[in-house]
Amino acid sequence: MADEAARERKIMVAVDEGEESAYALSWCLKNVVMENDKDTLLLLYAKPPRAMYSALDGTGYLFSTDIMATMEKYSNEVAQCVMDKAKRICKDLKYVKVECMVDHGDPRDVICEMAEKLKVDMVVLGSHGYGVIKRAFLGSVSNHCAQNINCPVLIVKKPKAAATTTTSSAN
Amino acid sequence: MSGGGLGCVIVAVDGGEESMNALRWALKNLKLRSTPPEGSLVILHVQSPPSISAGLSPGAIPFGGPSDVEVPAFTAAIVAHQRRITDAIIAHALQICSDTNVNFERKVVVGDPKEKVCEVVEELHADLLVMGSRTFGPIKRMFLGSVSNYCTNHVQCPVIIVKDTN
Repeated sequence: MADEAARERKIMVAVDEGEESAYALSWCLKNVVMENDKDTLLLLYAKPPRAMYSALDGTGYLFSTDIMATMEKYSNEVAQCVMDKAKRICKDLKYVKVECMVDHGDPRDVICEMAEKLKVDMVVLGSHGYGVIKRAFLGSVSNHCAQNINCPVLIVKKPKAAATTTTSSAN
Repeated sequence: MSGGGLGCVIVAVDGGEESMNALRWALKNLKLRSTPPEGSLVILHVQSPPSISAGLSPGAIPFGGPSDVEVPAFTAAIVAHQRRITDAIIAHALQICSDTNVNFERKVVVGDPKEKVCEVVEELHADLLVMGSRTFGPIKRMFLGSVSNYCTNHVQCPVIIVKDTN
């Protein structure tokens, strides 16, 4: 396993605003990504879908275009923030190409589509660690992706205990 | 980040080709820790207990005879057969590992696969669990195998699910 991988690999890591995906990214960097120039890391952020507000909503208030523009700007800022955080985690990699992608839509579908379209070799996801009830209402992105993506899927859960020694070396 | 690497990786194997693919994938793609304590790969096979996997139940002793007496020879035959299956699986897995210089161990436990995999992961404090996942029937891509699904939801360590590539 310590041998150099002779093939080029595309590893897609789905990031979001939570800590779990940042932990998944650093775990992946420590344990999967080889320090050669054969790996490409694709960071994917799925922006929640742009809500299509009609100019006149049910209560009779008018949503001005200003408000919609502000919301759009906020959502772009969040995306930028998430990407910057992810890139900061990757900054110590010398030989690995890092690419960033932002797309709109439900994360489950976005991740599955991108994984197929780009024919990645592996998908890495964090897991929010929902219990049964939350899972039933909110759905699980990691579960959905594990079922529907054809390539190997790595689901990394953040340990509930205080950060172990392995994670503290990430920063 | 050259100091990284996995300490204990468990690869769950069964009689299916998918789990062997998962093993091959793991050998090619993961970084085991090379500085001591060195990382190791644990090949785990969970053998179903004889009563379930037998699939057939010996007929009840008729005419009001003792109903819960096990026929020793019969049970022994099933157990022996199970053991042969297990040996074949482990041998195949070891053969896959043989031409890499990986530090591997084997572990066989008897019981319900989903629960036993989770137990072994906890017991060995694994850093990673690798599993294959079968896709059955015409609705192939809609469902994850029940063992992989259960384990993904219940283990505390990261899980990789490797599916058969078609």
